[in-house]
Formats: sequence, C-alpha cells, structure tokens
Amino acid sequence: MAKVIIYPINSLILSDLVERFGHKPLAMMEKIKEKVNTVGVDSPPLNITAEEPKMGLKYAAVEVPAGVRGRMAIVGPMIDEAEAAIIVNEASMAFGCMGCARTNELTKYLIRQKEIPILEVEYPRSEEEGKEFVYKIAEFLRSLSTEERS
Amino acid sequence: MSTEKQVKVALVSCGSEYAGVQGELEKVTSSVNAKLVFPEIDIASLDTIGRDFGIEAASPDLRLMMARAQAVVEGIADVDGVFITSCFRCAEAAIVRNEVRRYINKHSNIPVISYSFTERTTAATLMTRMEALTTIARRKHLLAREKQTGLTAGIDSGSTTTKAVIMRDDKIIGQGWVPTIKVIDSATEAFNRALEEAGVKAEDIQAIGTTGYGRFLVGEHFKAQLVQEEITVNSKGAVYLANKQKGSATVIDIGGMDNKAISVEDGIPGMFTMGGICAGASGRFLDMTAKRLGVDITELGALAVKGMQEKVDMNSYCIVFGIQSLVNSLAKGSRPEDVAAAACHSVVEQIFEQQLQEVDVKEPLILVGGSSLIEGVPKALSSLLKIDVLVPPNSHLIGAVGSALLASGFVEG
Amino acid sequence: MNNEEDVITKIVVISSDSVLPIDAAMKVYESETSITIKETCFGTMVTGPRTAVDRVVDELRAMDRNHIFVKERGFHPGDERRCRSVRGGGPRPGFHYLREEVQMLPMIGKALDAYDKHVPPAEIHRAEKIEVKKLKEIIESNL
Repeated sequence: MAKVIIYPINSLILSDLVERFGHKPLAMMEKIKEKVNTVGVDSPPLNITAEEPKMGLKYAAVEVPAGVRGRMAIVGPMIDEAEAAIIVNEASMAFGCMGCARTNELTKYLIRQKEIPILEVEYPRSEEEGKEFVYKIAEFLRSLSTEERS
Repeated sequence: MSTEKQVKVALVSCGSEYAGVQGELEKVTSSVNAKLVFPEIDIASLDTIGRDFGIEAASPDLRLMMARAQAVVEGIADVDGVFITSCFRCAEAAIVRNEVRRYINKHSNIPVISYSFTERTTAATLMTRMEALTTIARRKHLLAREKQTGLTAGIDSGSTTTKAVIMRDDKIIGQGWVPTIKVIDSATEAFNRALEEAGVKAEDIQAIGTTGYGRFLVGEHFKAQLVQEEITVNSKGAVYLANKQKGSATVIDIGGMDNKAISVEDGIPGMFTMGGICAGASGRFLDMTAKRLGVDITELGALAVKGMQEKVDMNSYCIVFGIQSLVNSLAKGSRPEDVAAAACHSVVEQIFEQQLQEVDVKEPLILVGGSSLIEGVPKALSSLLKIDVLVPPNSHLIGAVGSALLASGFVEG
Repeated sequence: MNNEEDVITKIVVISSDSVLPIDAAMKVYESETSITIKETCFGTMVTGPRTAVDRVVDELRAMDRNHIFVKERGFHPGDERRCRSVRGGGPRPGFHYLREEVQMLPMIGKALDAYDKHVPPAEIHRAEKIEVKKLKEIIESNL
C-alpha cells in the first residue's frame, strides 16, 4: 500500500479511486480533521493560527502571502510524506483548501520535484475522456502495487 | 449600547481561514456587537462569475469573493455592512479586492471596508475599522445630525496631541490643545483650557463625546455619552467645518501616527482606509523633520512653502529611511526650505500611494488634522492630485468638533 | 491517540441506479449501533469509530461497487465552526467543489464498469490551438 498524494488535494473522486485500488490517499480532509480536533486550540473555523503561516516558511518565503504559507503548512508535510502522486490538470473549480491558485502552483511544483511515481492526467471533458481518465489512474495505481511487490 | 441590534457584516474574503486571522476577525466583530456572515450565493453563478463580473481570476476563492459581492448587491444576502479582505502581498487578490469594493460601493448603499492582512493582524488592529463600519450601519440617524445644539464638549485623545472643544448653539466657544502625555491628565488639561476659554463650568456641559486612541479611557473618566472611533467622527467634523454636509466629499486626516482617507456621502463615510505602512507617512515624520531643522512645528509649513521639493530626494516609505535621506540631504548642503518641502511632499506621496488607491477621490477634498496646518502639506497634496485642497477653519480640532457635534444628539429635549 | 477513540466522518455519495440513499441508510442502521448518519444533499455522512466506519463503508460500497463513492471529511456533521445556520448564510467552501465532483460521478461510474470489463479506452485526439500561419490563411481567405 502506497501513500498517494492527490491533486486536487480534497477530491472525492481521486480519494475514492486511490482507496478503491488499495492505497492510502493523502488528502487534505484528514489533515483538517487533525487540526479541528486539536484540543486547546480555539481559532475557528479550521484552528489555523498565526503559527501555521510561520511553519509554512519551510515551503515558501516570507514575501509569499500568509494564506499561501498557512495552506502550505498543511499541504507541505503531505507532499513530504507522499510515495506516489496523481495530478489532475485543468481541474474544474475548486474552493477552500484549493481556493488559492498560487498555493496550487506551488503544490504541483513541489510534487513534481519529488522522485516518486507521478501520474498526470487531464480533467475529462467527455464520457470517452472519462474512461481514459479512470483507465490511466487505475493502471497507475495497479502498477504501484506491482512495484512494491518486486 | 448593548441594547442596540446586532449588525450583520458580510465577510467577503480570500485566505483568511488559512492565514490564522479568521479568529481575530470573528473576535473583533463580536466585540462591537456584530456578526460575520458568509453571504449565500446563487451556486450556478460561480460557473460564470468570472465573465459576469469581468475578472477571470485564477484563484477560485477570489471568484467566490466576486459571487458573494454580487449576492450582497443583488440583495440575496441581507447584510448591514461588508468587510472585504485578502492576503497582503497577493497581487491577484488586490485586484479583485479593489474592484469588488468599488462595485459594492457603486451599486449599493452598504458601507464597505477593505483590508489586507498578514498572519500578524490582530483584532486590536481592526477594532477602529470595524467599529466605524458598524456605527455607520447602526447609527445613521445620529450621523445625519448637521447642527450642534445645546452646550456640549468634544475630546479627541490622539496619539500625539489631545484636543478639546466646547460648543454652544453651533459655535465653538472654547478650545484646548495639548501634547498627549498621560491620556487622562492630558485630556483633563485640554478640557479645562477649553472650559476656561468658553467661560463655562464642567457641570454645565450637557453631553460629552470622546474620540481618538484614548477614547475609551477618557470616555469612562468623563462619563461621556458618546465614545466613538475617529473615522465617523472626523468625517462628520470635516464636512461640518468645511460646510459641505451634502453630497460627495473626500476627507484626508493626517494624524500623528496614522492617516485616514474617507469617501463621504452626505456626511456619512462610504469607503475608508486607515493606517499606512509606517509613521513615515504621518505627522510624526513632519515633527521629526522640524526638530532636525531646528524649527518649531508651527514654522515648518511656512518654510516648506518657500522651498522646492524637487531639489531633495526623499522617500519616507519607512520613517528610518526618511530620516536618513533628511540627514543626508542636509549634509550635502540642501537648503532647509527645500528639505521641509520635500518632507511634506514625501508624506503626501505616501498617502497617495498607500491610501488614496483604496477610496474614490471626489471633490471637495477636505484635509484635516494637525498636519493640515503645515502649509506645505496641502500645497503638496494639491500639486500631486491636481485638485484644490480645502483646509477648513479649526481643521486641527476635527475630532473634538465632530464629537461635540454628535454628542449634541444626546442632549435632552 | 487511542484508536478506539478515533472518531471519523466519511461522506458516502451514491450515484447509483439500483441503490437509493435511503437503502444505504437502512443498511447502516441494520449493521452498526456505534455509528450515526446524516443525510445531506449530496450524500450520507457516516460518523463513528474508524474501524466501524470503514466496515460500514465497505458494506455500502458493495451494494453497487462502481457507483458509490467515499471520502473522509475533516469536520464532523453539524460542527458549529462549519454549520451553515450558525455561521450565517452561505455554505462551507468545500461544498461547491463537492457539487462539481458529484456531477461527474455517473461518468466515473461508467468508466469503472468499462475498466472492470477490460474495455480499453478509445484513442482520444485533443484539438491543439491552430498555428498562427493557418489562422492568417483563414482570415485572408475570408476577406
């Protein structure tokens, strides 16, 4: 079982496919859950405090906006942890965790810098493309299991 | 004040939840008996908002900002004020934030403020702004007052100076102006001077209003009927003193520590900004310039009017760098009048670059605050903006006069 | 942290012709007592201890494997920090994205069916932007 980072990092479809094919999706939702359930921190709604943008300095310089660094404080460690990645390019509108285009650029860049198996697919625009989309992802996830075995 | 209804402030923001400031935003709104709400939007509008609004922003949360602004304007979201905010240093957000602010201002009567935050932004930083926003939403009837009635006093406890006025039947009958040392002591001294000049006793005063940084402390000490931030008070004071109570006006208040730029409509603030990056853009820099030139602050203006700012290279974006260029230019043999002119120009330039972009400048432009008395300042502002700058009589007493005027709303009968 | 106490929420989105959300809800009620569920516009939120949630989710998936989708959720249902009624008005940001994805699920479901049947995807040609030279020719020929 590989830890697979998905992009968009809060995608239902990608999270589902990774789990469906026997791997562990590294998704934003779990990180947010850790944050919001941290006892003693009361900074609603996400329990992100002024500390996160400082932690984000590991991934982005101080002149990068606080909202980017705050997000990177959560996404960055997920990238560090990842053993494989699936990136969907030109994904449809995304909000919240994925609401900042600059964070998203940096996230994709940092994933691509890692020496791990990476699959990049285009966001499907038709049923045929949808089939190709699922096929590529499924084959990629299967190949991860084979690699592990060998 | 707790009996007043809770004000609903629409939060139109990008990044605040991830920058660690959302909690601070909620804290400051609840401290002024307001509530942040997230405007309900027509979900389908998200797909087309980029084209509809006109900015095809790459960041989805910025599109959400536009959709929320649209919901506010179209009345889908029922709110009393709007707080627009995004990350400091984000170019994409700055474009959207400014356009959204203009859009709401143009298409509705809802008061708006706009602010860019860092992770260090705290509730205290936002207090005056949020207080002003909720006051405008909540106390329109009070702000509609155009004449002072009865015998009232206003005390403006500023960061550098404390001002007090006594007013009776729409006239200033006494005034006091002292440097701020200890907040209450200085306020007492200014108040006593004003009383003495007016020839009235403290117990005869029917209502007192306080404003400025020390407003809460001073308000409590003097049992003031009105304790009000300086945005609404100064807007009111400015249009009152300039006799421009009807129609549009722009008020610029150069204070001892920060500045305010306010778009006013019929005496009520619409858009406003407060602050600036550094005291290099405030009266404090002029004070330091006067000291370095060995002249009294009251003489700096006349000196500046005689000089040519073009002859001295000065940038007070940062007060330390500003002082450095001041010292350097004098060391190079620049004339004091040119240096004085350059200092006035630099302060005005900072206001232009950092604040006037956030409000729509509409004539008349009313310049108030102690720095307006330094003749070089209105001159520099006028030449930079290429419009006439109006400095009303008693412009340095703006906060005190505004407070005394608004406080008369509390005079019985 | 004790695993027993690790309470999680998973959102189960049903995009099936044969299984209705109510069927899924009934299934949960039948099988587990330690779990609470909440119906939403786009799916069923299943909250409880991790092992129990995973077990239930597996059972739910099995009802129509390729047409039921699952993801974990950060906030528990009704968390005041995200609750619409408490927060005043608009939905949480993730809602809009979920809505987008849910619209894609029938397509993904069909694709999973095809994958199971080893149907290779058709070759897809994505149109490239035309060359400037070509555009110029088109303009000239239309003038």
